Amino acid sequence: MNQDKEKDKIENREKEKRELVIARLKILPSDKKLSVGSSGDFTRDELIEHVEKKDEIGKKIVEVQMEYLRLLKEGFFYERNAIGHEA
Amino acid sequence: MSGTLLVTRPKYDDTTHYLFYWAQEIINLAREKGIKVLDLDIERANKNEFESMVAKMRPSFIFLNGHGDADRITGVDDETLIQAGKNEEVIKNKSVYALSCSSAKELGPASIDAGANAYLGYNDVFIFSYESDKLSKPLNDKTAELFLGPSNQLMVSILKGHTAKESYDRSQKCFLQNIQKLVTSESSDASLIPYLLWDKMHQVCLGNKNAVL
Repeated sequence: MNQDKEKDKIENREKEKRELVIARLKILPSDKKLSVGSSGDFTRDELIEHVEKKDEIGKKIVEVQMEYLRLLKEGFFYERNAIGHEA
Repeated sequence: MSGTLLVTRPKYDDTTHYLFYWAQEIINLAREKGIKVLDLDIERANKNEFESMVAKMRPSFIFLNGHGDADRITGVDDETLIQAGKNEEVIKNKSVYALSCSSAKELGPASIDAGANAYLGYNDVFIFSYESDKLSKPLNDKTAELFLGPSNQLMVSILKGHTAKESYDRSQKCFLQNIQKLVTSESSDASLIPYLLWDKMHQVCLGNKNAVL
């Protein structure tokens, strides 16, 4: 029973993420495309379809948007000299 | 300036079409500076030509444009040019900038382990946006410039004689400037900030930070 509740909780969280990402994708310009490497090139509406389908491309778009929101929350834009990873 | 630059730039889909034309800017600049350029363009961006040119001409720097994966980078029609565990030793003693998806995740470290000097690239997918009606004139595409400008800045810096680390820093700064410009703009391109930030955060500089052309 507890496992089912936990599963429902995770699914709801993922659904909320997808809805948030779709809302953000809707503000992308409709006359532009996004090149996502060898996965191909996509219009705004195609990206939304992929997120709704929960396929690999959709998952990657969700990941990109969630990373952005995480960095925003961490104050990325308030750092004077924000720099990326250096290995 | 001494040093030879080898460039691979296939052109068989929208993404490689854009990279092809934006790489031309780097080739032009290199030639203006008197740097010898080996241009493996379109069909010539295949494994045989690549390996043979690297062995024969011994370029000091290789600028790879194309699709990629964690363990490989490809040329024309997705033909693998370099793959971790197969032929990464081909870039031994050379420095590389791979404008492709993800190759700095496994191929980059494997190349450094096999003796490559420096490996600059992306450890996850490289994303860029472009204007659908600019396919015939990719260099006039202001949206694509937001992404490919910072990428090219890395190579411009290398051609000016700066080190791998300095060139990486300049590219990072250029990404940041474009992000900051969009944050304060009312352009619809502001919705592209997450993708620019993604590219910035996943660009890496591996190996010898002091490597030069």
